[in-house]
This record gives sequence, C-alpha cells and structure tokens, in this order.
Amino acid sequence: MLRLKCLSRRGFGRGLGFALALPGLSPPLLAQEGPLEAGIRIERFSFDPPQIEVAVGDSVTWTNGDLAPHTATAIDGEWDTGALGMGDAARIIFRTPGRYPYHCVFHPNMTGMVIVHATAGG
Amino acid sequence: MKMPALVFGLAVAVSGLAAQADEPMNDLEIAHAAYTAGGLDIRYAHLALAISENDEVRAFAATMIRDHTAVNEAAGRLIAELDVTPQDNPLSQALVEGAAAKRAELMSLTGNAFDCAYATNELAYHQIVNQTVAETFIPAVTVAPLRALLEDALVTFRVHEAHAERMVEGLACSG
Repeated sequence: MLRLKCLSRRGFGRGLGFALALPGLSPPLLAQEGPLEAGIRIERFSFDPPQIEVAVGDSVTWTNGDLAPHTATAIDGEWDTGALGMGDAARIIFRTPGRYPYHCVFHPNMTGMVIVHATAGG
Repeated sequence: MKMPALVFGLAVAVSGLAAQADEPMNDLEIAHAAYTAGGLDIRYAHLALAISENDEVRAFAATMIRDHTAVNEAAGRLIAELDVTPQDNPLSQALVEGAAAKRAELMSLTGNAFDCAYATNELAYHQIVNQTVAETFIPAVTVAPLRALLEDALVTFRVHEAHAERMVEGLACSG
C-alpha cells in the first residue's frame, strides 16, 4: 500500500514503524518525528494515489494537473480544498485519526481515501 | 438512438471536410472549431440552468460551464502565446448554425421533455465532437502545443461523454 509519494528518510522510518506493528493492531500506532507533507496528484480525472495513509498532524497536498477544475472534498463535508484550477494546489492538515473518503464535487465519480493513524505519542 | 439535428449537421460537415482532401483544415481553423464547439456547449448549459429543475441536469450543466470555460481559457492563453488568430471556417459555421436551431428547439420545451432533449443532445454532441477531435483534429494539427491542448481537452470531453451517458440513463428517456 502506498503511503507517501516520496519516501523520505523520515518516511522510511515510519514505514519501518508500520512493518513492526503487530498484526491485527488497528489502528496502528506510528513512530512520529514530526508532521509530514504527503502529495496527491490530480490527473486525467483521477486522484493519484487514490488512497493514502498519514499520521495525525500530517498534511496532504492536492495538486491539479488537469485543464478542468477539481476539488478534494470530504464526503461528510468536514474538509474541502475548494476549487483547484490547473496547476493549483491546496493543503489539508489532518488532526484526528480516521478514514476520510472524499471526492471531487464537480466530478463525483472521482473518489479517494485518506487514512489517518494515531501516533505513538498520543 | 436518434441523432439530433445539430449532431447530424456536424457529422455531415466533418465527413464533408474529410472528403475535401485537397483542402484539409489548418491549425488555425481547427483551433477555431474546437473553441467554437466548447463555447456552444456552454450556451446549451446556460439554457439548461435557466429551464431545468432537475438537480442532476443542473449539476451536469454547471460542470459543462466550468470545464469548457477552463478549456477555452487555456486555448485563449495558447493563442495569445503563439500570437495567432484562429480562422473561421465551414465547420465552425455549421456548428453555430446547427446550435442555433437546437437552442430554438430546446427553448420550446419544459420539464422532463427539456431534460431528455438536453441530455440526449449532450451525449450525441460529445460523441461526435470527441470522435472529430480524436480522429480528425489531433492527427491533422502540426503545432505541438495545440496538439497537447487538444489531447488534454479530449480527456475532459470523454469524461463529459460518460457523464452524459449516465444522465440519459438516469432520466429514463424514451425514444
């Protein structure tokens, strides 16, 4: 499962934390050195990657590469990037563990998922 | 499925152009026709927002306005960057003429009759425009940035076609 687009050294450490987590422990507790910034590319009317896992305090940045405007909007409406024109980007910081299904309000067939895990420190 | 008058006119115009092998459309004519097709779909969408009370139809229309405006704005930026002027041509003229007739037809309708006529026309319009862009415009264009723009636009237009197809199915239009 793809967690972060760019695997930084900190990302590697977190990946190791995932690997060491006990099977069946849900949600996993992550070793946390500080907030990370994950990226999702919007291209050809898809979110890439369609699912991403981050820790509490991390942020996710959506960047639109399409001509058409898009949004990344929580299905429950809790958060919303607003309209992103071509080349625009918006960042959302996730402060609460949980699963966050989202879509583009302009093109509801475009869907994605952000999974936010609790950190070991709290 | 019945072929709406505008689409039939466009199909005839496109096949007519294909037959005129000695006079293929140049880049500036293709840019003009593509821009015109987008602008006409925006006008249909404004009509839909003025007449339709169906949430799905209105959402589709809003998407057409938003997306085609974005594509045409990108085309406008490219035209300015290349410092060229798109050329009017028989295909653009056929599009404008056919759309005027179709708008008149749509304006005489209300309720589900309007929604079905609009949705059916949107599906057929995108089908023929997408086919034209893919099989006629993109292979013929010689300027790389224009080809890239048409290829990007085609991605958007194909999503519209699929959306229109779902809209037609959802409306359960007869005939």
